[in-house]
Amino acid sequence: MQNKLDFTDRSGGGISRHLFDNVIFLGPTLIFLFAILIYPLIYSLYVSFHDWKLVSTVPPKLIGFTNYINALKDPLFWNALRIQVTFILIAIPLELIIGLLVALLFQVEFFGNRIMRTLLLIPFFVLPSLSGLMWRFMLQPRYGLIGNIYYLLNMEPVDWLSNPRLTFLAVILQDIWRTWPFMFITLYAALSNFPKELKESAEIDGANKIQVFLKIILPLLTPAIVVACFLRLIDALRIFSEVYVMTEGGPGHATTFLSIYIYKNAFRFFNIGYANSMGYMLTIIALLISFYALSKIYKEELS
Amino acid sequence: MKRFLRIFVILLLFLSISLAQKLPYSTTINVLVWDDAHTKAVATLIPEFEKTTGIKVNFIALPTRSVLEKAAIGISLEKTDYDLVAVDEPFVPQFGDLLFSYNLWPEGKVFRKVSLNEIAEGAVKAAYWGGVARGLPINGNIYVFIYRKDLVEDPKNKEEFKKKYGYELKAPENFTQLRDFVEFFTNPPKMYGFGPFTVKAEGVTCEAIFMFSSFGTDVLKVSGDKVSLVLNKDKAVKAMDYYKELLKYAPPGKLSFGHSERIQAFNTGQIAIMFQWPALIPNHIDPKQSLVADKIGYILPPAGPERRAPVTGCWILGIPKAAKNKQAAAEFAYWWASKENAKKLVDAGMNPVRKEVLADPEIQAKRPWFAINLEAFKYGVSRPRFKAYARISEIIQVYWTKGISGEMTSKEAIDAMYNEILRVLREEGYAK
Repeated sequence: MQNKLDFTDRSGGGISRHLFDNVIFLGPTLIFLFAILIYPLIYSLYVSFHDWKLVSTVPPKLIGFTNYINALKDPLFWNALRIQVTFILIAIPLELIIGLLVALLFQVEFFGNRIMRTLLLIPFFVLPSLSGLMWRFMLQPRYGLIGNIYYLLNMEPVDWLSNPRLTFLAVILQDIWRTWPFMFITLYAALSNFPKELKESAEIDGANKIQVFLKIILPLLTPAIVVACFLRLIDALRIFSEVYVMTEGGPGHATTFLSIYIYKNAFRFFNIGYANSMGYMLTIIALLISFYALSKIYKEELS
Repeated sequence: MKRFLRIFVILLLFLSISLAQKLPYSTTINVLVWDDAHTKAVATLIPEFEKTTGIKVNFIALPTRSVLEKAAIGISLEKTDYDLVAVDEPFVPQFGDLLFSYNLWPEGKVFRKVSLNEIAEGAVKAAYWGGVARGLPINGNIYVFIYRKDLVEDPKNKEEFKKKYGYELKAPENFTQLRDFVEFFTNPPKMYGFGPFTVKAEGVTCEAIFMFSSFGTDVLKVSGDKVSLVLNKDKAVKAMDYYKELLKYAPPGKLSFGHSERIQAFNTGQIAIMFQWPALIPNHIDPKQSLVADKIGYILPPAGPERRAPVTGCWILGIPKAAKNKQAAAEFAYWWASKENAKKLVDAGMNPVRKEVLADPEIQAKRPWFAINLEAFKYGVSRPRFKAYARISEIIQVYWTKGISGEMTSKEAIDAMYNEILRVLREEGYAK
């Protein structure tokens, strides 16, 4: 009630005046948001329900959920999803472990700490496509950096990018190289804000370093870990350009991530309706994971 | 003084108006093309074209795949972002219905309409879909083999080769000779016989089609709207086995060889022979880029057991039906393909498509592969030409690489390729 009175008084012209102000101030933002976010989402949903070919003289035909059903029946869709999930399950935990260990290491003050900290962040600022290209050349057995290491060791160089398993591993390594600094800096920031008293009192009570880490640091760090992993997860679901320039999804389908499969269907096979349906499925997966992760974070915060 | 200035300005205005009136056009066209030495050459001369015609050209040169994407998004029956668009040969069937038939293109006001009789036959074939030419062929790309002439002419090599194989060392004419040739010149870790194309891209489809056709089998037979799978599995397995044999004599990294790797390996003198698209040959003859610039010979692709099968990779210039500046777009295409312009463009790096330019002795002296290029069109083989080509190409790439890498046996790979193509043909409504 109080709110309502304040509200009327402040506007000086009643609810209608307040609404008018809201429209004036929020309107442009809402229109902009609708144009760049809501409309494309609605439009792509609309396209996903059609048999829609990009280069065609035949008008799109409404086919309901057929594209979604076809995707569920498509072995290449499941293969792409499997690759994506495997990638996430391997890459993100490794990035987390490396990031966490280095963040802990940098809690100790040493000469050059600041400069090293800055330098370690460099890979994170490399463009994904550039990173993919760089790794492609590095792995080239004849004149790449890694190929030359084999030569130095008097070994026959391995052609990483022609072997499905090694190619997949190379993509993971490339991703870890590029994004572990993100984990590092997020966790380093969280660690730096910890009250030192907790750690010190645990040590006075006789806790060893492992116990301090497991019982004090890790529980306090959990919200930061969840947030970092969550952000990386969303990023990993959208992985595209680095893999595309590095392997183009090959050899065979070994690195055809869902995003690459969607791209191929849209711009190589021109089946934009089908590509959109798979895009939506990827979005739903991302939303479900986000929902789960966020609810977990809020729960942790509340508790 | 003021009076003099006023008269001068008026005169200047009058002069520029009268000059502008003399130009036949006053318009702007958007042209979407692929990006390589050829189109870079064209771009250098565009100011001349603009000056002559009054047509301002927005020349948008993009990597091949991006051209396809932009064209797919930007062209429909109702509207188009481009007045003239380059279409790669295997995609002509897909874009064909959106393009204005070449026989309906208007006559040029400045440059003469190019007759398709003036163009190399194989390239003209690339422009046709459904019995109608959908545009003007502009880039005469077809498989040409480049080899190390200096090594072949070396008397020591000649002697050793004859001792080992019982016949004279020369540029290979058939697959048996090609196999001996690549084996003879392989001397790891510095020298290898063969430069394959194996990185997952259109080039892999071309290699597969080259091998299949050389061994006497096509993948698909397209007649009108009917498409049937005609891949002879036995011949295809033999073709794949032969390619695997050649791969034994390729450099490390041979299973991830794309354009850049091949150019680099050949230019640093590590490869004795390989196919090359004529449009990319300028990369090999530039002494700034190549250690073997003056040591290269050019031949037709060696003949397989059944036939000689150079694969074509031409581009056509098409005018979208929805284009508003058809006349100006046609004028630009005629200028690009004109005989008068050809010499200048060839000097700047263009790969021509006109027979008389390819056959011109003066030009051939500077570009010795043009004679082979023209000859190769007599045997030209194209990739499957129908609307679902991209899906078929993807399957060929996947199973060809699985087969040649040993991930699958040749038979398993060809069987899988066959079954997958059949599945796609069924999905697309071409087969039951």
